[in-house]
Amino acid sequence: MTPPEQTVVERVEPPVEATPADESVRCTFQVKNLSIWYGEKRAINNVTLDIASNAVTAIIGPSGCGKSTFIRALNRMHELVPKTRVEGTVLLQGEDLYSSSVDPAVVRRRVGMVFQKSNPFPTMSIGENVVIGLRLNGVRDRKFLNERLERSLRMAALWDEVKDDLHKPGTSLSGGQQQRLCIARALAVEPEVLLMDEPCSALDPIATAKIEELIYELKAKYTIVTVTHNMQQAGRISDYTAFFYLGRLVEFGPTTKIFTNPGERQTEDYITGRFG
Amino acid sequence: MIAPKHILGTFDEALSSLRNNVLMMSGLTERSLERAMKGLFERNDNVCANAIADDEEIDQLEKQIDKDGVDILLRFQPVASDLRRVVAAMKLSSNLERMADQATTIARRARKLNQHPPLPEVELIRPMYEQAMSMFRDSVDAFVREDVDLGRAVVPRDERLDDLNRVASHKLVDRMAQDPDQLRGYLNLIFVGRCLERVGDHATNIAEDAVYAAAAEDIRHQTAAGSV
Repeated sequence: MTPPEQTVVERVEPPVEATPADESVRCTFQVKNLSIWYGEKRAINNVTLDIASNAVTAIIGPSGCGKSTFIRALNRMHELVPKTRVEGTVLLQGEDLYSSSVDPAVVRRRVGMVFQKSNPFPTMSIGENVVIGLRLNGVRDRKFLNERLERSLRMAALWDEVKDDLHKPGTSLSGGQQQRLCIARALAVEPEVLLMDEPCSALDPIATAKIEELIYELKAKYTIVTVTHNMQQAGRISDYTAFFYLGRLVEFGPTTKIFTNPGERQTEDYITGRFG
Repeated sequence: MIAPKHILGTFDEALSSLRNNVLMMSGLTERSLERAMKGLFERNDNVCANAIADDEEIDQLEKQIDKDGVDILLRFQPVASDLRRVVAAMKLSSNLERMADQATTIARRARKLNQHPPLPEVELIRPMYEQAMSMFRDSVDAFVREDVDLGRAVVPRDERLDDLNRVASHKLVDRMAQDPDQLRGYLNLIFVGRCLERVGDHATNIAEDAVYAAAAEDIRHQTAAGSV
């Protein structure tokens, strides 16, 4: 894939158009003029952003800037919060996620999510945790489930560590293993996209390195969007970086460009630790 | 526009200390070059000895800047303009150290020349000295003031210095043929010219690093037409 040109965002109305300039870059998501309100509060303000396929896009910005709301809008997870209102469009492979004919449950199967804190189902074994999504979708074929179980755990780089303990509770694993178990659970339903909301913030450096390595390997097959507060992590793992501030997209571009020569003063001040 | 301070005060202090050491090293290097050339033009061995003695402090500063730079990379993981400034400072110190080595070489050659009767051809070196020093001062100024235009303007001036060196070398070679008794003296002057030409090369490197630090633009290895 040819990296797209950096798109510098102007902080004036109308809002920025953050589109990989190179037309050869295939995009999984096309977000257009997206605004999201929680009651009266506008959390996302007129964001337009295309997300490249088979690449890692990092969303950075200070707390409360709308990062988590934005990625949750990519699988309609934010709708679980009462009094939410959405304007604009989110196209997944060209299909409007917010069309009245689209079932949010189907969206969430196509767009998997991993959260800040690992959350294996406490009453389930490691194996059951991985295949629960398939079971809830009506899959009963034991051979199929076992194959998918092993494949998902292998993709999450966890198989070798747990293959003899599949019957043990998911909560018996270490924090880093639990997070990889959650990734395996998300992968088991074969999503097209993986959303990660600060997936390493509760992990030690070794577990973090394993997740980062995993993210690098998974992008060959999946489109990954990750929220992180860790600038170094964003620099290490992502191909593109989007900087959000006060619900607006300030700047979007190739990560190397953003972290060596950002086009916007606000981006520079944030990533260099001059404001937060 | 002056960048606001970092939230982390120790980061600002570390960057400031790094910059101050680069400035101090630049000042010492400039002084060392001036002393070496004064020793040559005024035939003063004591001044030459001072130029040679300056080198040790400059060497220590190079090591200090490298250590501080690595320390900043390790402790603060700088990005964007901060990263560029640290990288440029470390590269600058390397170029300054090599310039100071040229000053030492010039001072040693000057001491050899001072053991013999004066050669009027030493004046062939003066325009080169002026050109090299002006390039040096402007390149450091470009770094300190983050002046991209000044940095860019230094680079093409190296050609003029190269031309001056070529002309002086030809004349000195001619003089060797005409006056073989002074062959060693002329040879020493050719080496001094060569040192000043190298000073110009290092000044060019510093100017290029200054442009990178200020504007994230790599202007190295470009021809006049802009192609690589």
